[in-house]
Parts: sequence; C-alpha cells; structure tokens
Amino acid sequence: MLPLLSIVLATLLAGTAATFFAGTRARWVALATSSVFAVEVAFLFLSFSGWPGYSSALVPGFSESESYAWIHISWMHVNFTVGVDGISLVLILLTAILQIATVVYSWNETKRPAGYFGLVMLTCLGCFGVFVALDILFFFLFWEAVLVPMFFLIGYWGGPNRRYAALKFFVYTHVASIVMLVGLLALVFYSGASSFDYSAVYAAGHGLSTVVQAFLFLALFFGFGVKFPIVPFHTWLPDAHVEAPTGGSVLLAGLLLKLGGYGLIRWAVFVLPAGFHVDLPVVFFVAFLSIVWGSVVSLAQRDLKRLVAFSSINHMGIVLLAIAVGSSIGLVAAVLLMFAHGIVSALLFMVSGSAHHAFGTRDISAVGGATPTTPALSTFAMAGSLASLGLPALIGFPAEFSALLATWDRLGYWVFIPLGILVVTAAFYLWMMQRMFFGPPRGIPSEAHDVPWFEGAGMGILVVFTVLFGVLPSLLVNVIVASPIKGFPGT
Amino acid sequence: MIIGVTGTRLRRFEYGGWIAVALSGAAMVVGVLIAFGEAMSPGNYTNVQITWFHVAGAPGTFPNGFTLVMGTLVDPISSLMLVVVTVVGFVVMLYSIGYMHHDKGLPRYYAELSLFLAAMNGLVISNNLIEFFLFWELVGLCSYFLIGFYYEKPSAASAAKEAFLVTRIGDIMFLLGIFLYFSHYATAGPNGGWAANGFVFVHGTTPFLAPSIRGSSTLITVAGIMILGGAAGKSAQFPLHVWLPDAMEGPTTVSALIHAATMVAAGVYLLAVASLFLGFTSFDSLVIVAIGGFTAFFAATMAVVHPDIKRVIAYSTISQLGYMVLAIGAGFAMVGLYHLFTHAFFKALLFLAAGSVIHALGTQDLFKMGGLKKPMKLTAAAFAIGGLALAGIPPFAGFWSKDDVLSSVYSQLGAHPAYWPFFVMAFAAVFLTAYYIFRAWFLAFSGDRIRDPTLPAAHEGPWVMQVPLVILSAFAVGAGLFVFLPGFQGLLLGGAGVAGIPPAYGTADVFLSAVSVLLAAGGIGLAALLWGNGRVFSLADSSVAQPLRRLLLHRYYFKVGYDWIGAKGVYTVSRAADFFDRYVIDGTVHGLERMFGAMSDRLRRMQSGLVSDYAAYIVAGLLGLFAILLVVAPFLIARFGGS
Repeated sequence: MLPLLSIVLATLLAGTAATFFAGTRARWVALATSSVFAVEVAFLFLSFSGWPGYSSALVPGFSESESYAWIHISWMHVNFTVGVDGISLVLILLTAILQIATVVYSWNETKRPAGYFGLVMLTCLGCFGVFVALDILFFFLFWEAVLVPMFFLIGYWGGPNRRYAALKFFVYTHVASIVMLVGLLALVFYSGASSFDYSAVYAAGHGLSTVVQAFLFLALFFGFGVKFPIVPFHTWLPDAHVEAPTGGSVLLAGLLLKLGGYGLIRWAVFVLPAGFHVDLPVVFFVAFLSIVWGSVVSLAQRDLKRLVAFSSINHMGIVLLAIAVGSSIGLVAAVLLMFAHGIVSALLFMVSGSAHHAFGTRDISAVGGATPTTPALSTFAMAGSLASLGLPALIGFPAEFSALLATWDRLGYWVFIPLGILVVTAAFYLWMMQRMFFGPPRGIPSEAHDVPWFEGAGMGILVVFTVLFGVLPSLLVNVIVASPIKGFPGT
Repeated sequence: MIIGVTGTRLRRFEYGGWIAVALSGAAMVVGVLIAFGEAMSPGNYTNVQITWFHVAGAPGTFPNGFTLVMGTLVDPISSLMLVVVTVVGFVVMLYSIGYMHHDKGLPRYYAELSLFLAAMNGLVISNNLIEFFLFWELVGLCSYFLIGFYYEKPSAASAAKEAFLVTRIGDIMFLLGIFLYFSHYATAGPNGGWAANGFVFVHGTTPFLAPSIRGSSTLITVAGIMILGGAAGKSAQFPLHVWLPDAMEGPTTVSALIHAATMVAAGVYLLAVASLFLGFTSFDSLVIVAIGGFTAFFAATMAVVHPDIKRVIAYSTISQLGYMVLAIGAGFAMVGLYHLFTHAFFKALLFLAAGSVIHALGTQDLFKMGGLKKPMKLTAAAFAIGGLALAGIPPFAGFWSKDDVLSSVYSQLGAHPAYWPFFVMAFAAVFLTAYYIFRAWFLAFSGDRIRDPTLPAAHEGPWVMQVPLVILSAFAVGAGLFVFLPGFQGLLLGGAGVAGIPPAYGTADVFLSAVSVLLAAGGIGLAALLWGNGRVFSLADSSVAQPLRRLLLHRYYFKVGYDWIGAKGVYTVSRAADFFDRYVIDGTVHGLERMFGAMSDRLRRMQSGLVSDYAAYIVAGLLGLFAILLVVAPFLIARFGGS
C-alpha cells in the first residue's frame, strides 16, 4: 500500500516551495499544485478504507494511517502519525476545492504574485496537515503553520487598515493556540499517556476523572472556540475579513474556521466525553449566543464583507450547536454544515471581492440596481445568498435541516431559537440583494464591469459543488458515517 | 408516469417560449392521463426511490439513526392536483406568449415559470414531508423570482422580498411541525412501515395512527398548529396574508399561476394532506375553522373598496382560500380540494381576462376604465363567466364547490357550536364576493365610453391570449359538474375513503343553497345598482362610512404595522447590537490591549539591573508558588478530587 498521505504532504510541500520561487509564473505552479492535490484527494476517496467491508489495522477507525518514530526518549514518544476518517476526508475535499477555486479566482494578482500564491499554498498545506495529523505535536505544528501565512496575507495584501487587522488576528488566535496547547499538554501529562499519538491520548483522556476532564475541556473549548469564532471572542473576524484580500478571506472563512470545529470534535469532544458532558451548559449557551448574535448583527452591516463575516458567526454557531447535541446525526450535521459553510461563505466572499472590483466599494447602500450592469455577479450573489439562507436543493439545506432536527431531538422547543433566526438570516440576505442588485441603478461607476472570466470560473466551481451536494447530500453523508464514530455519549 | 415526472423536471433547462409551452403541454397530457388512470383504478403508485440521507442506527429509534428516502407517489389526491397544476400551467404558458412578447428577459421568464411548475408538480407527487418541504421552498423561491421579475421597480423588488420573508415565517413553523410529527411517529411508531421506509408518510394507504391515538397529546396539537402556520404563510391566511396583494407587482400571468395552481394551492394541499393522513385534534380544527372563516370574510371586505383590478381579484383569492381552509378544518379535506380544483380554473380565468384588459390599456385602475365590453367582447364575457363562477351562481363551477363547503360546515354546527360565528362570516362573505367582483366588472366593462380618454384604444389580444380564455371559460362553466362523473367521484372518494371521511357532496342542503344563491344575486344586484351602466358611486366626504373606507383601503393597517415591527423594530435592535459589538465587546478588547501595554511598561521598569531587586522577585515568586501548592491545590483536590 502506498503511503498516500505522506505523498500528498510531500507534493504540497514541493508545490508550495516551487510557488514561492516561481516568480511571475507562480500562478501556473500554484494551479498545477492544486490540480495534483485534487487528483490525490480523488485517490484518497477511492482508497478510503472506511468504506463498508474495509478495515484498517494500525490506528483503529482511521484509513491510510502511517506512523513513523520521530522523537523517542524514555518518557515521551513523538511519532509522525497521520490518518483520515470520514470527517477529515470531507474537510480535505473542502480544502482541495477551495484551493483550486482561490487560485483561479486570484489569477490576475499582480502584487508580488509569487509571495501571494505561495502563502495561499502554505495555508492549504497547513490545513491539510491539521486534518490528517494524529499526533499532538504535529497537529499543533500545522495549526500554527496556518497562522503565519494568513498573517502575511492580511498584513501585506490587505486593505488600508491591514496592519491593525493582521495583528489583531494573530494575537487573538495565538492566545487561543497557547491555551489550547497548554490544555493538550496537560491532557498528556496528567493522564500519563505514553505517547502523543491520538490513540494513546484518546485512551488516556477517557481514563481521566470527570473534574479534570471538565477543566481540560474548557481550556480546549476556549482554544478551538476562538477560531470558530464564538461570541464574545469573535471581534477579530470581521476586522480580519474586511482588511484581508479576497483570497485571504476565502481561506479564512472557508478553511480556518473549520480548523476550530474539526479540532473541537477530534481532540476535545471525542477525547474528553465526560468533561464535554459536564460543560454542556456552557457550550449550549455559547452556541445559542453566537447564532442569535451573528444573525442579528449582520442585519445592521453596511459593508458586504462584514455582513458575510457575521453570518459566518451565525453558521458556525449552528455547527457548535450540532456538535453539542452529541448524537450521531448531530455530528454528521456539524461536519456537513462545516463543508457547506466552507463552500458558500467562500462564494460570498468572492462575490464581495468582485463587487469591490466592479463598483470600487462594498458599501451595500452606496450601490443599487446593479443587475443590468453586472448580471453574472448578481447571479452569483443570488446563488450564494440562497445557499447561505438554507434553500433546499442547495448544500446548506440538508446540513441545517439535520442540525435542527438533532437539536429538536435533544433540546425540544429550544429549537425555536435557531429556527426563528433563520427568518432574520433570510431577511438580511434578501435585503442586501434588494439594495445592491435590484431597483433602479444608482451609484454605479461608469467604468463598472461584470466579473472577468477567471473570477467567474472561481465562483462557478463553488456553485457547481453547492448544487451537486445540495441535490445529493448522501454523497457526503455516506463518507462521514463510513468511519466508526468513537467516543460519543450514547454510541 | 415516470415520463411525466422527468418531463416536468426537465423543463427547467429549456429556453424559449414555445419550447416551454410544448413541454408544459406534454406535461398536461401526462398529468391528465395519470388522473384518468387513477380514476379507472384508484391506488398508490410509487416509482422513484432514492436514498437521500442515511445515518445508520437502529430502525425507528431516532437518536441513533435517520434515513430519508426521496421518491414519488401518485394517489387519488395528487392526481387531482396534477390535473390542476398542469392544465392551468399549460394555459398560462400559452397566454404568456402573447402577453409577455414585448418584455425583455424572456428566457429568464420561461425558465423560472417552468421551474415553478416543475417544483409544484414535484411537491404534489412527493412521498414524504421533507421532500414536500424541499419543493415547497422551491415554489416559494420561484414566486420570489417571478414577483420580482421587474426587478428595476423598487416596489416589485420589495414585494418579492416581502413575499419570501412572510412565507418564510410560515415555512419555519412548517419545519417545526415536521419535527414534531416526526418525533411523535418515531416514538409512537405504528406498523413496520415506519422502520422500513424511514421518514415516509405513506399517504394514501392506511392512516398511520389508529384514531384512538390521534389527537391524544399536546405534541400533536402543537404540530397541527405549526402545519397550519406553514399553510397560512403559503396560502396567505390571516395574519400572514399581507404578501399576496403586494405580489401583484409581478406580471399578470404570474399572478394567475400563483393564485390558481401553484403557490397558494400548495398551502391548502398541505393542510388537506395533513388533515387526511396525520389528523388534527379538535382544538386544531377549531383554530383552522376560525382562521379560514375569518379570512374569508376579512379579505372580502378589503376587496370591496379597492380601485385596482388585480388587487380586487387578489383579495378574492385570499377569501376563497379561506373557504378551503374552513372546509378542511371542519373535517372535509376533499371538499376543500374540490373547491381548490374549481377555483383554480375560474381564478386563472379572471386573472387572464384582467390581463387582457391591462395588456390593452396599460393601466390597472378600475376608475380609468369603462365601456370595454364593446371593443373586448370575449374578455368581457370571460370575466363575467369567471365572476359568476366566483359568486357562486349555478350552474357555474364555483356554485357546486362553495355550496359543498358551506353545507359541510353547516352539518358540523350541531356537534361544534363554536363553529357558528365563522360559518356566519363565511356566509356573509358570499354576498360581499358577488358584490365586489361585479363592481369590478361594471366599472371596467359597462357604460358606453372609457373614463380616462388618454388611454389607448382597447383591443383584444392575439389568438394565443384568446384561446386560453376560451379553454378556461369552458372549465369555469363545467368543472363543477365533474363531480357527477363517476371517475372524478372516484378521485374524491379515493382520497376521502382512505381516512374514513364521508364524501360531502350530495349532502347539500337545498335551503342553504337557495339562501346563498339569493345572497349572491343580491350582491350582484347591488353592484349593478351602484356601478352599473357606467355609473360611479362615491361616498360623501361627510359620510359616516368614510373612516371605514379608509380603514379598508389601508388594509386594516396590517402592512404598516408589520413594516413597523419588521423593518423598524428589528433593524433598531440590530443597530443597537452592532453598536454593542463594536464599542463594548471590541472596546473591552482594546481596553485589555491598553492595560497590557501599561503593564508591560511597568514591568519594563522592574528590569532595574539590581541583583537585590531580582532576589526579592524570586523570593516573592517562590512564596506564591508554595502558597498555590500548599493551600489551593489541596483545597481543589479535597473539593473535587473524589469524583
């Protein structure tokens, strides 16, 4: 059997390095790298041993697993251990889709393209690493490796207030990373696990007393939660999005937020089930707060990017809620929703970026009746809005539907809160569409143009997946549930 | 049948008016054939089965598993609806060729219209409530697109948004209703059908729950109210009725489709299906009767004063939907669907006739029209036939079904005295209906000349617009008589027999019919008296009725109130939240930043370079550490360590 994950990592590394040194040809190298990556992800799907009838020996429950000794001293074993299960596989697919879409979308980046595309590649590499790493130190290494390129993407290619936003982003998420690292290390040392491997940590975590689990869970929840982001630790997100270049925003919303959700599921909820159970009231409270706050504040936004950013807070709140529900359908819903949000928010940030190029502003009330001038942009904006507000036959619906069904099953009439908020979500998207794209033309500069082909192609890729998985969600659901879901209360 | 399904679904990819017309014609043929097949041999036919969502678990136990199979199901009720949707859909498509020919964006128009019909057909043949909901939302989406077809007009864009959001409130309730029914049936699970089919409400075979279990719990009562909420949103029942009159911003053809066969019909269909196969508690029934009866009257009053020809018909739709809801609430779902069936034809007829007038004159204001019966004979006749059917004059279609509605509710009054006020309201609405629709007819068509001489000379539309009027006129005359055909009876009976509900027609009370016909005739007579032959009746400014007229013209101020709550209220809250977010939450972050800045400034000064200072820090630090180890840690262990 081929060491597939190592090969993927190696090609991504090589591609990233080549992109940095490719000068003006960086975009071709980046496109080649991401195409190769996409093919490799297809192979991953084909050889996924989580399918019924396969089994994997090395790390139970994971496919394609590999493990090599790295640091072995008497009291500590650090291995390079990687593997995928259904959850990470779906998020890896998301990474591949967003990487290609971002590269295509930013085809005409002229400001130091080698650096730009290299950092995009590096961000995706880090995300891939996070999704496959099954060792705490490697997990953390990749986790931090994502922060750095994003810091530079915002800080160098960003808008007028970019230095402030980049610094805020970095400090915020770095503080969270430290708390998370302390939590993970405490988990290892408290439990006396023999190595940093996921299987060892998993067993050790389950052996801890409830109180210790509860404290550790809180630390990890904070660490992962800031990435989500959860209210009230969310204020870095709108600023980072507003200042980031479009490609940066796409990766930030599409992938970086998912790291928080993935980490929470993999390293906190699965490993510390008893602590998770004790801390549930906090998690539920934060989830509801994020759902309501994100949506209500969105309505007041005038900047299109801020609007989408706050709607992200709302959607990630639903992800958190679905995780907290703690049933297998809730977990499936959470992963599905992360995938859906990754695609749809990326699409909406691309729309924001194109609107900025076309009109010179993202102020929703400054532009009106843009549809005759920019019909393609208007169509993409409509598609993104509809997908984000959960219209059936687009990807958001099966995810939100199953999340809400799971919530109803667990919490009963509390489901009215997220359900009612869906009306507000629909309201702010439709209102935005009405103000920017419908009505008589207003405030449109004479040189305004519709989206160029590469931007259209980038958005088109995302729309295709939005429809495909919206009509046939079982394609994803079957992948997610193919691997045994361990460590859940009640399973 | 599969061809019918794929045919209707494929049409969304087709562009060009005639292609759309041809395909919808094909769909009509298939739909009518299905209905014939169903009439010959009633039963349930299931074709497509696709697993859409499957999370493994023990069958029937929800927390661990959930399976959803999408499929199609044709049974007597859905075949009845298929006829309505495909026939009206085809006629409207044909009419569009003439009506829309000078508009731009035609590919978009036909694509959206086709998707609209496809979604509605999909809804009708869904075999479970989730699939139903999926198409239900698509129907809502298409009406959003089509109401906002003239998106350059701010009022059209606003009306589209309003329609989507108001029905969205209903949709949310519907979704919760699905959850409630789901958990009820998943736990109270009946025969093995549940476990085998996952989330399939096998409608058309046997009722899921024994009647003794039906209506036993609060859960089901709430679920029924939620389903009603969904239906009220789509079918524009009080208090979610506000969007429908504003939906007149769309092209008239779209109004015809929305009002006759697609959007609003979906709500009534849902209610009928829920009533037959899920069952309502007695409390639910009372609420449904109350909403239906009240809406029938309430909407009719608003139609009495309105000067816009399309809005008068729009209010009449809300009012007629009220009748359907009333019948379903009283336990006669098939009677409600029967009224839906006849109403679809005469309402489409009225809209298309009004469309001819608007097409010719370019205005919708009744007070600018007049004397149109000479240049537009066919349209005048068609509108009159539609009006007679709407008013309930025998032998036109509306008479039979409306009479059934009233007599079926009447038959329940003995057992449910609480239905009385709503029965009276519905009865009073008969008079109002006849009055307002003939007020519109007299204003537009009677007299010898047009009131606004600046308007262009009136003329009939091209043949593609006239043929639909003829077809629909035939249905408006004859659709009510279908009930005397054995096959059609079979369709109604096939649905009714399933749930053990007796067929309602034939129980018509002769006395009741006579009174309602007299009321309708009186309404027409009053309209003729006040508006006939080109007369214009106007209230004196000092009249006591003036405030009432203003109240009606302003639609009881519901729209103003909702705008106030929705736009102003929520937006203000949202602005406040945004302020809080920027200045309090983020302000705290900045405060922390400054605090750390100041602290690091102090700390920097601690680096004095004096060894004695450092020694003092070390000692202080050690003492602190010991304090933690010796005092705090044992306390924590003593407090929590045991568990």
